[in-house]
Amino acid sequence: MTDDSGTLSIDFIVGFTIFLIAFIWVVSLVPGLLINLQGFTIDYDAVAYRTGVILVEDPGEPSSWEIAPFQQNFDKSKVLRFGLAVSRDDPNILSIDKVNRFFDTATFNAPDYRDYHDRSVFGDYPYRFNISLRYIGSNKSTRSVGNVLPDGYGYIRRFVKVKSMSNASIDGSNNASLISKGYINGDNETIHIFSILMNNNDMIGKESLIKDPAYQIIPGRESFMINFTSLNSTMWEDRENCFNISLNSILAEDGQGNQTAFKDPIIDEIPIHMESPKPVISNISILYNTTTNRKGINWDAPQIKISLIFNLTKTNSGCICSTCPGSRFLNNTPVGSPFVYDYNPVNVTQPQLRDAVVEVAVW
Amino acid sequence: MVSSDGGQLYTIEGFAAALIMLITAYLVVNATSVYTAGDTHISDMQLEALGTDALKMMGTPMNYTESVNGNSTLRTIVELPDSNDMVTPFREQFLELVNITGAGSRQDIQFTASYTCRDDTTNNVNTSNPISYSRNLTGGEHTARATKWVIVNKDICGSDRDHAVLVEVLLWRD
Repeated sequence: MTDDSGTLSIDFIVGFTIFLIAFIWVVSLVPGLLINLQGFTIDYDAVAYRTGVILVEDPGEPSSWEIAPFQQNFDKSKVLRFGLAVSRDDPNILSIDKVNRFFDTATFNAPDYRDYHDRSVFGDYPYRFNISLRYIGSNKSTRSVGNVLPDGYGYIRRFVKVKSMSNASIDGSNNASLISKGYINGDNETIHIFSILMNNNDMIGKESLIKDPAYQIIPGRESFMINFTSLNSTMWEDRENCFNISLNSILAEDGQGNQTAFKDPIIDEIPIHMESPKPVISNISILYNTTTNRKGINWDAPQIKISLIFNLTKTNSGCICSTCPGSRFLNNTPVGSPFVYDYNPVNVTQPQLRDAVVEVAVW
Repeated sequence: MVSSDGGQLYTIEGFAAALIMLITAYLVVNATSVYTAGDTHISDMQLEALGTDALKMMGTPMNYTESVNGNSTLRTIVELPDSNDMVTPFREQFLELVNITGAGSRQDIQFTASYTCRDDTTNNVNTSNPISYSRNLTGGEHTARATKWVIVNKDICGSDRDHAVLVEVLLWRD
């Protein structure tokens, strides 16, 4: 009896060798497959980093995506890519107007935050994400958009400074200073016009004192605020009780034949919508906000003039000077000097940079 | 006699099975080391971005007036006359920044900071002048490095006029 157990046939050796080579080749591919499968955390971190860079270091596409073009309404389909930086030369310095527009979920309202995914997160994979901005300092308010954070996610945290808006305050109680500057006129008149001049050529032109957009005042791109306090104190002292003040209108002109009325001031701490003259006791605040519609004038024109038209109406009681036809008041048009909104810190509180942290989480 | 070899492992098959197991084990272990390297890189990148941003923000003037004068929080701290005076303000400012979070959870980040400058009189690079620290380095930490050039006007490194110093921060997670 032939005992051939334990011997190998040549067929077996050839077949087994081919199998072994094929097997090793297949197994050698496995780490590559595993990297793809196991690499989600790494991928999430990388996507978060990329999103963070896009938001914090870039102004977006178009670079002034946050405002509506001249004479048009804001159209989110024109926004190709989000970016919150003031300019390409100022990474980590964010525009407050871009921040406000970015977190406006009423405008960017597509389901599952697709508007944000397609403009800042990108990629074919339907990443879930949360983007937040938190101010550092006394008022630690947080704004965020996206899904609720799970237990595990990739993230990046970037420190930024948010450029605040500029504002001007005109205090009527300091009337000696206002008189010396030519802001109080019209001794016996009842209609008074006060003008504010914004000279774009001086503020952002080639000869501008400030070249860095991080510190510039840019009326065409940024919100700004003008506050009037103690308006009644600009009248003659003995006539303060003789007249009621009413605000007829607030008009902005661009010197190119365009004029628009601002209809939503805050009068004596109450937001008002003006379709007709409104009574004023002492305070008016005007917030020109880029996120609301500023259609009507070209804010990039060389000069912008904002005029407040007041009317004084005689009262029947409490008036010492009963025969006075009118009174001096806040008035620099046509006599006097316009209030210039510029880089003079005496007139205008300049933009300040405020610390904040932007955190992008992706999963 | 009936030959019954069913269920037995032949010698050559035993070697083959062992070889396959060894190769598989090698590949799995090898693959694991790839993930670790990738994770470390990402973690370093996060810390580095954090430190670089924090120094950058500390070195950015808050408004135009500060910018004209070249003032910033970082410059003010480095210009403090005594090196001991720098410790607390730098630590408070830096930790306030790096340990703050957005929507995510807080992380415990530690740091040690120093500056380097070129000595005008000897023309040597004067390294590792301490600024501040939150905890001393023991040597076991995995640190990331962030730097920023700052112009200061202070009598250090053999010069009392405007000159550049390199502020360096090593930071790590506890």
